[in-house]
Order: sequence, then structure tokens, then C-alpha cells
Amino acid sequence: MTGLRAPMTPPALQRTWTGRDPASVVRMRAAELPGIVALPVRSIDPSLPAPIWSADASLGPTDLDVVRRRTREALQQADWTRIEPRSTVNLIANPHGFFLCGEAYLVMLEETQRHLVAKRECTVRLRIAESMGHIENPDWMRIYDLRNRFGDAEECPQIGRGVEIDTRVGPFWLTRDLFSADHFVHTHVAEMREGYLHRMIDRLHKPFGMGYTRLETRSAYHFGWGPRTGQLVARAVFDSDYVQQRYAGSIVLDTSPEGVIGVDADLDLDALNARITTGVLRHYGTLMRLMAEIDDVIVVFDGHGCHMYAYGGGIAFDCLMYGQVDFLDLDNLALLKGFASRLPDTPGLTMEFNPAIKAQIMNYMAGGVPYTMMTRRLPTYLVDGPAAEWLIDDPASPWLGERAHIAPDLPAAITAARAATGSDHLIVFDSTPGALHVSEPLGQLLLERAPAVAEHVRTHALPKWLTQRGLATHRPA
Amino acid sequence: MAKVVRMVAEIIAERCTGCALCVYVCPTVAITLRDRRPDEPGTHRRIAEMFEASCYNAQNCLEVCPEDAIVMHRLAEPFTVGTDVAQADPAEVKALCRKAGIPGRGLVCMCAETTGEELAAAVLGGAHTPEAISLATGARTGCTELCHQPILQLLAAAGHGDAPRNPARGFQWYGIAARALDLVGPDRVVPDELLDAYAQFPLASDLRVMQGDFAEFEPPAASAP
Repeated sequence: MTGLRAPMTPPALQRTWTGRDPASVVRMRAAELPGIVALPVRSIDPSLPAPIWSADASLGPTDLDVVRRRTREALQQADWTRIEPRSTVNLIANPHGFFLCGEAYLVMLEETQRHLVAKRECTVRLRIAESMGHIENPDWMRIYDLRNRFGDAEECPQIGRGVEIDTRVGPFWLTRDLFSADHFVHTHVAEMREGYLHRMIDRLHKPFGMGYTRLETRSAYHFGWGPRTGQLVARAVFDSDYVQQRYAGSIVLDTSPEGVIGVDADLDLDALNARITTGVLRHYGTLMRLMAEIDDVIVVFDGHGCHMYAYGGGIAFDCLMYGQVDFLDLDNLALLKGFASRLPDTPGLTMEFNPAIKAQIMNYMAGGVPYTMMTRRLPTYLVDGPAAEWLIDDPASPWLGERAHIAPDLPAAITAARAATGSDHLIVFDSTPGALHVSEPLGQLLLERAPAVAEHVRTHALPKWLTQRGLATHRPA
Repeated sequence: MAKVVRMVAEIIAERCTGCALCVYVCPTVAITLRDRRPDEPGTHRRIAEMFEASCYNAQNCLEVCPEDAIVMHRLAEPFTVGTDVAQADPAEVKALCRKAGIPGRGLVCMCAETTGEELAAAVLGGAHTPEAISLATGARTGCTELCHQPILQLLAAAGHGDAPRNPARGFQWYGIAARALDLVGPDRVVPDELLDAYAQFPLASDLRVMQGDFAEFEPPAASAP
């Protein structure tokens, strides 16, 4: 599959935990717009490994039995002996896993529960570490009938009761219900989200500084540590006595932008992290750096995930939002303004929103994460209807209603954004895996630039990223 | 800036079990428990009660309620809450921000777009608890997450770090989590054992940056490709 092709069918919009049904109110998906084409990620990076599972049959096998088998193999090779018979184990999942890999993530969780119950004679409960604020996550509990499938399944919000723990660098607070068991198992889906924060240092440890923690710890991660040091929070929490006394192992769904490429498990999170990180840098690096080639673009949000957590072609919007800077290169300070009480005068040290983004359109987008700072300088368009009202009422975007233009429909929003910016470049974040939905001129531009970017990543950027992380001799999982 | 409040929470009496979780997580302490009146539907003795004027549409209650006993309603007339920094002494505002180590003119609450100066002005104007700051500025009532720590830091710097939790058994906030600058000793140096323990991080370099020293990055590194 190479070159530009007809648009793919984006994943269906799902009912959210708040009871909203975006599929019933969104009249047109962006992929249906005239002139939108699919740019397969494989056209950008032909070296990607073949998926063992993909949500889309045009990208790879959709048979979940392969994922089951690979999960069982990974489980059998890992050491689970920290789990004593008759103990309780919290299998900690996260909404991102369901969002990105759906049934494949579910299968990995199910097989893990079965394996541990059979081999370690323990009780395994599913505990979902809820993400920030009021993101309109699809209602995974009901969509996948998790209570019936796992017997004991609960969502654990970050605003819930906390537990204070001591670490080598000071106190942090974790979400108590995630750790209210004799042991826990850490699960993850490898991908490239929030790289500007974690910088791919100790990537697999990140939930210990964010997803598994209370508000206090998450806020400290953002405001209390440096531009390349936030992950020290995650490392300190993971290394704490409280966590180590309960930790029983980790299992990860390894991915490329097209889908699942493997399953890996290990008690040694450092070893697992080294294998997964090496693969993520190889498999996502070219696509991420290609974002820097875009000089002007209108962004269309058309799926689940709020703003920086919206996905297209397997990468999150934040890869474009900060795409002008190679934040994987640790020599780049890439300082977000919140990290320092005093800011440098020298241009290039602070990381602003990508100036290539000229306008943004919300056809459907979940709320929950603050993003309206961008609406201060960017023309922003909402497509009239209930989905626009949901965003305007969102607690995290109280000024959106004052700043956004309301267009009667999606084509009108596109026309207005084009007229305001003069840009013919559209990129859509609609959760479609394996291909970017773009306007044809942008697709042609990216195709032209991709070989040089891929070569630069292969010969310069990737070796440097790996060396900076002590992974130069590592092979991916 | 400030917050435009567009929605308000409502308790559905017949579903409420009086579990108090909503009371424990509300950043503006807009909910309490009281005895259920005989004429009210529902079977549990206690019921949550909402004080609408204090509800800033944070929706923590909606998220945490296990009984789906809370719904949000659009207000007919949205209202705006915020603190005018011009009402405070600029020197005091600046000094408090500096003491707390937060940017004065930078955004701290990304949702209400509240600056450090506005938060400091609220503290200097008498907001001496996190919930009082939220009521005065609208901060911490959006995602309720990002600005959590800087607000607690400001209160501590102003001498109000011992504010009691409200309600006492609640968990709208706990305390100040560890910060990188805490690792710097009186000699302005980070102990070698910590630098060694976290050698994968450029900790010493980031700490210089956090203290405003950017010398090692000039001229700036070129972006690639």
C-alpha cells in the first residue's frame, strides 16, 4: 500500500460515560469531505514491521487469536513469582489502551487474568486508572461489558481517595484504589503520546508519575520538575517501597502506527522499557519528524480524545502541536513556559505551539483537557449542533464560546478556515490507524518530503535518540 | 482571566444514597450532606445538597458519583468569576509569586486561564484555602488537576500551608508533592547521590534552567531535521 489513496473509514464514534452519543449528532465525518485522501503511514516509512493485529483489515490481520497466542507466550516467559497463592492482584488498565487497541487490549487483559489465576492461584481484579479530568471517554465499562468479562472491574478516578507515599525525593500521592491489593500488574500500550513531557525517558514508568496518581502528583509532574525531568517523578514512585512491595510485573502491547506488532512482558520494567522504547523510536520517529515539514495546516478534530489526545495515523495531535521541535533530542531544551518561573530571552529555547498550525476545526472532539490557550491566537471553528454545545459547556474550556466561530456544517467550517488562512493543507485527527487523512496537496507534500526525513532519522536522529537513552545497542522487542 | 460558569449540578434525590463522595471531591465545597426530608423521594437517611451559587461547573461530583445521581444543567444566564489583579499591591503580588516559585504573568490554571499574579492577588485579598482561591478566581474548577500544586505552593508561601482540609475527611486536595527545587541544598547544590541515582535524567541542567540559568543552551541547539 503506497501513495495516496481513497479515504479509509474512521473508527465509529462511541457512546461516552456521560451518556452522550456523538454518532447520533455528527452529520458528516471529515474523511467524507471532497478532496480528503488517505496517506498510508507505510508510504512514509516502508520499514515498519508488519502488524500482527490491526483494527483495519487493510493494514493487517484482524484475527484476535494471534494476539491471544502471543500474550500467552509472553506471560509464560515472564516471572510472576512475586504473586503468592490466594493473594489479590489488581490488573491495572487504562482508557488509552482501550482507545488505541480496543479488542486487542481487551484480549491481552483477559489472557493475563486467566494466566495469573491458573498459574499463581490468585484473585485478579481489573482496575482502570482514569485519565485527566472529564475527558469524554467512551464508556468502556459498558462497551466491553467489563464487569461480566472480568468479574470484578472498577474505574478509579484521579480525583478519588489518595494514599501518600514516601519516595527518595519526597512525598507523592497515588490513587488508593489502584493499589488496594496484595499486588498489582502494570499494563501498557506502547505509542507516542505526550513525548514533549516524558521525552521517552523511562517511558513505561510514566503511569507511576501520572496515570496511577492523584491530582497532586500529576500537577507536580507538570509544574514542579524540569522540561526533561518530569519522569523522575515516575521513577521515584516506581522505586518507592510502597510500590515495590506490591509490584508483580508488567505486560505491554507493542505497536506501530498501523496496529499491534507484538506482546511483551517482564518483571524487570527497565529491561522491558529498553526493548519497547527502542521500537517506539524506530517505528514512530519518521512520522513524528515529518510533522516538522508542514509549514501551514488547518487541523480538523473528528474523533474521541481531547485535542492533544486526539489521534490520526497512529500518532497523537501533540506530535504536530509541538512538531516544530525535535523534543526527542535531549539536547533541545524545549522548555514549556510552565516549567520555569523565569523564561529565557533567547529564541528557540521555549517551546510554543507549532506556528504552522493556522486554524482548528472541531467537528467532534471530546472535552476535558485545557486547550483554549490556542484559541487566543488561532481561528477556531465549531460545527453547529449538540457536539459544539458540549465543548462550549466543557469545564476545561470556559472561554471557547466567546472565541470560536460557529459554522453551519463541516464544509462551511472548512471553507471559512481556508478563507481565513489561505491554506490548502488539511489534516484530520479522527482516530484512523495507519493512515493520515489529509487534503491532497498536503498528502503530496508529505510524500515528497518523507524519503529525506526517513533518511535523516535513520542516519542521524535515531542513533542520537538511542545513544542519549543508553539504548544504542538495544534491539526492539 | 476568569471563568465563565455555564452549567450547574443538580442532585437527583431518589438516586442519592448519601455516600458523600461528591462532598469529598468538590473543589468549591458546594455540596454538603443533610437529613432527607420525609417528602423527598429516595430511601437513604442522608442526601446531598447543592449550593448552586458555589457550583462552578467543575463536574468532579458527576465523575465520582457511583449512582449517577448528579446531572448538569445549562444556566440560563452564565456568570463570570475572577480576581482583578489591579486591586492588589503589585509589589506584594510579585513577592508572593517569587516566594512560591510560580510565574507571575504565565498561566497557572490553563482552563480558566488564570495567571500566577491573579492567584496571588486572591490570596492577598483573603483567600486562604484552596477552595477560597477557587471561589475567588475560578481556577482549579476545570480539569481540577494542572494548577493544583502551584495553588498549594502559593498558600504555603503566604503562610497558609496549614489550612485544614474541607471537609476534614475529604480529598479535594491533600498536600504539596515533591518538587525538583526541593532537592537543592542550602549550598545550592544537588547531592551527588541523587544525581547518581537518577543519572538517566539531566537533573542538574534542568534545575539550572528552573532557576533561570540558561547559559549552557546559548546559542540554542538547532532543531532537526
